[in-house]
Parts: sequence; C-alpha cells; structure tokens
Amino acid sequence: MKRSRFPFVVTGVVLVFFYLPILILVADSFNASRFGGAWRGFSFRWYARLFHEPDIWISARNTLVIAVVVTFLSLILGTTSALALHRFAKSRLQGIHYTLIYTPLVVPEILMGISLLMAFVAAGIKLGMTTIVLAHVTFCISYVALVVLGRLRDLGATGWQATRRVLLPMLAPGLAAAGLIAFTLSVDDFVITFFVAGPGATTLPIRVYSMIKHGATPLINALSTLLLALTFTMVLVSQRLSKSGALEGGQ
Amino acid sequence: MTHHPVLRFALGAVVAAAGILAAGCGGGAKEQPILHVYTWSDYVKPELVARFEAENACKVVIDTFDSNEAMYAKLKAGATGYDVITPTSYMVALMHSQDMIQPLDRALLPNLAHVDPEYLSVALDKDMAYSVPYMLTNTGIAYLKSKVADFEPTWAMFDRADLKGRMVMLNDMRETIGGALKLLGYSLNSTDPKQLEEAGKVVIRWKKNLAKFENEQYKTGIASGEFLLVHGYSGDILQVQAENKDIAFAMPREGGVLSCDDLVIAKSAKEVKLAHAYINFLQDPKVAAENTEFIQYLCPNKDAYPLMSEAIRNNSAIFLAPEIKAKCEVLADLGEKNALYVKVWDEIKAAK
Repeated sequence: MKRSRFPFVVTGVVLVFFYLPILILVADSFNASRFGGAWRGFSFRWYARLFHEPDIWISARNTLVIAVVVTFLSLILGTTSALALHRFAKSRLQGIHYTLIYTPLVVPEILMGISLLMAFVAAGIKLGMTTIVLAHVTFCISYVALVVLGRLRDLGATGWQATRRVLLPMLAPGLAAAGLIAFTLSVDDFVITFFVAGPGATTLPIRVYSMIKHGATPLINALSTLLLALTFTMVLVSQRLSKSGALEGGQ
Repeated sequence: MTHHPVLRFALGAVVAAAGILAAGCGGGAKEQPILHVYTWSDYVKPELVARFEAENACKVVIDTFDSNEAMYAKLKAGATGYDVITPTSYMVALMHSQDMIQPLDRALLPNLAHVDPEYLSVALDKDMAYSVPYMLTNTGIAYLKSKVADFEPTWAMFDRADLKGRMVMLNDMRETIGGALKLLGYSLNSTDPKQLEEAGKVVIRWKKNLAKFENEQYKTGIASGEFLLVHGYSGDILQVQAENKDIAFAMPREGGVLSCDDLVIAKSAKEVKLAHAYINFLQDPKVAAENTEFIQYLCPNKDAYPLMSEAIRNNSAIFLAPEIKAKCEVLADLGEKNALYVKVWDEIKAAK
C-alpha cells in the first residue's frame, strides 16, 4: 500500500505559512525601495543606515539587558516554584499556588500592563528599566514554572537528595527551553512594556511600533533580519548543548 | 559540595539584577540636568538636539509613542518622568481639560513671536496658553499623474466610477466623514445630526468605488501602482513621492483636515525651565527651517518660511494655496458628541 501524501503536503503548507512572511521580510531588507511594494534592486543601504542610528542601538541594548536579567530571575523563581508545586502536589496551598502561577497566562496583556503601571505608581517606584524587568519577570515566571513542571512530571523524581543529585542535571534541557522562552517573551513584549517603561527605557518593540508612523520601515526589516540570525544561532547552539547534555545523562 | 555551581549561578544572577535595580533607582550622578522628551519617532533632527544639549549643558533623552491614545492612557494611569510631550491638537485639548499639562511661562518663550498668526487663527489653543504648534500636516488626495485622466482637486473624485476598486480612503472616521462634510460645504467639526447623516450617505456612495478603508498600506499601494488615487497624509505622500515621481498630491478645493502636533509641558515635569528652553529653541526661525527640511512637515513659524529651500516652499503639499488654506480646519475634540460620528461610521462600515 502506498503511503498517503496528505501529511506531507499539510506539513509543507504549514511550514510555508510560518516561514514565508519571514522570508519576505528578509528579502525586503535588501530591497532598495523604502516601501517594499515593488523590487527596486538589491541594496545594503538599510543596513548601512542602521549603523548610523544611535537611538535604535540604545533601544536594542535596553532590550537585551532587560531580557538577560529577566531570564536569570524568572529561571530561579520559576524553577523553585515548579519544584514546590511538584513536591507538594497534593496540598491545598499548592493548589492555590498553581492557580496563581497559571493566571498570568490568561490575563489579557493590556489589563496586566495598566494594573502593573498603577501598582508601580501607587508604590512610588520610579518607572524605568527596573519596572520593565519586574513586569516581565511577573509573566515569565509562569511560563518557566509550567515548562519545568512538565519536565518534572516526566521524570517523576521526588525528595531533596534526588533533586540535587539527579533532578537538576536531568532538568538542564528543560531549564534551557524555559530560559529561551523567557528570553524571547521579554524581547518581543510590547503592550505591557509600553505601560511600565519609564523615561530613557525605550525598548526595541516600542521603538519599532513608533517608527511605523514616521520612520523608515526598511530599517526595521534590516534590524529584524539581524535579530533573526541571532535567534537562529542561539536555537542551534542550545539544541547542540541539550543534545550533548542528554547523551551524557544517558551514559 | 555538589550544589555549589547552582548556588554560584543563583548568586551571579542576583548580583546582576541588583546592579540593574540599583542603577534604576539611583538615577545617576547629579552633574547634568536631563530633559525627557516623549514624542513620535524621527520627529526632530538629531543634530539640532545635539546643539541644544551643547548650548544648555544638558542631556536630552527621547522616548517614543505610536499613538495619542496609548500615550494618554499611560500618563492618565499615573506614569511620570516626561517633561516635553508632542500630542496632536485634539489630544492636547483633552489633556488640558484633564489638568495633565501646565500653563506656559511666556517670559521664557520669546521665540513665540515668530509663530505664524495665520495658523494660530484656526488653532485650538489660539493664545498658546498651554501649547505651541510644532509640526503641521494636512490630509489630501494623492494620485498617479499618468493613470488618472482629468484629475480635479475635489472630494468628488471618489465618485469617479472609472477608478472603481483602485481608490483607498483612510480608515479614520473623522478624516473620511470630514471629507464628505467638506464636499457638502459643512464644517468638518459639525455636530449637526442632519449634516452628518448627509455626509454618511456620501461616504456610502464612495464606498462602492473604494478598494478599502486603510491607513498604512496605501503608501505601498500607490508607490507600486496598485492604487491610482488615495486619501492620505501629506507627510506620508511626500515620502512616497521621493520614490515614484509619477505621484502628485493635491488639496481638495473644498478644503480638508489640518492637523498639528503641539509642544506641551507635562504637569509632573521636573525640568520646567529646561522644557521652556527646548520649546523656545525649536521655534527659533533657523532651527524651525532646518527641522522642517528634515521631517518634511511644516513648522508653522512665519520667520522660518523664507529660510526654507525652494523645493519646500514651492511644494503645494507643504505650503497650501491661501484660498484652500482658508477652507481647511483643525479637527477639534468633540467630547460626548463624538458618538454621533461613531454612529454614522458604523452605518458606513455596515453598508453594502
């Protein structure tokens, strides 16, 4: 019996649907035209201009610093939270804990943005990079906790000794995945960041949004292409790392 | 001792984070005052900012927003730290009514003498009591010269059946209903339900000829020739014109929307003196001329006009003919009456 071609075709269509827009963006970053409607020749002009836009680089730096700190903090808090949830899975308190961890995933972003802003204002915390970090950690913890929790359930280990000796090494790929998710969420969050950002703390997504009105969109294409290259490299490296980690674990 | 690496990792993260938190709260040493400007992206020539910094021994930090409404929501919720903001006039009126901006100290603003009185006569804040006009744009019609035969500068162009499916109007109720109101000879700030109903019927008639109502892609569309005639902002059209010389811009003879972004000082501003100095600096005729050349929007500063290049002064999208300018209006904040427009707009959207 011949194997059906249907799954193959569906996979192909889905992949095209996912990646075609990105390919168009990459192609347009080399388009001499500012509007990208028609191809007006291959050009590096947007990349050249990108290197003369200090504002964009400041925003990019802000974004990366925030993302790195957010990844560290939410990995620690999220993992400890997952450990507690797993270890005391039957307790009532942890039931509440689980709900609290789960809630940020379903709360609309705009609500979270405004309420965080109001909380910061009420507490008298000066808006800036700090408030962005705090806001991002708030929702990244949930993602980290759930990813790590899933991995813990797979492993089924309990007890502190097991945690220390077996769990943490075995958990490494899960931690890497959770860290990547936290990093990515932090880098591309717009709505919440817009509200809690203070003076001097404009991140890349905020700048990109505001550039749509006055700025040159091809600059955004060029910058996105560079970011894509960085992201793909990071994913490749992390896959390599987790593969070699898994091999060691297996031995 | 196996858990040491984990501990060290955790400690490292805490130290790094503490560094950020401290930097965030400390706010740097107090040697130079910092002026915080909250504005649209690419809305001032960078060299001019550098000059202002040098002249006033200060630092200017610019943050950006992408819509008046988002900026308003953020400040209304209590965000502070910004000194100078550049909302559009209707939003300035709203912020003024909510006590979010402060009155200007005219003694610190001698350059306001250069502001164009002709514009001020139609401005919402005619006396510049709390806002100073910064950049002016207008909404009109752009078209492809080689493809649109017998072009006439009138809103009635959207009735042309031969352009059916190749025209776009803005997805903005005030702008588009405003065009119809102007065609009928009414004010585009009209709150007369009868006039609005009439205007709604006109837009429904136009809709049959339109490809869509849209605010962003029309630029790409006219640059590539997909659309032949579009309703759009002069600033956008000027950018597209640089790429496709076949595009022309015209203000309808019935008049249209003038829109102005204003310089205001936030109620919570810390550097009030410096904020005044910045506004005064931007209204220096030489600075205003240079800024206009860069942004391609018009700074309404009468003494700056002669200093601008020929290309700008002869551009009918930037300098409107006096008889058309006389018919243009600034969109006012209608408050409660806005609902009238929403109702008509809903009918337009629902119409087949």
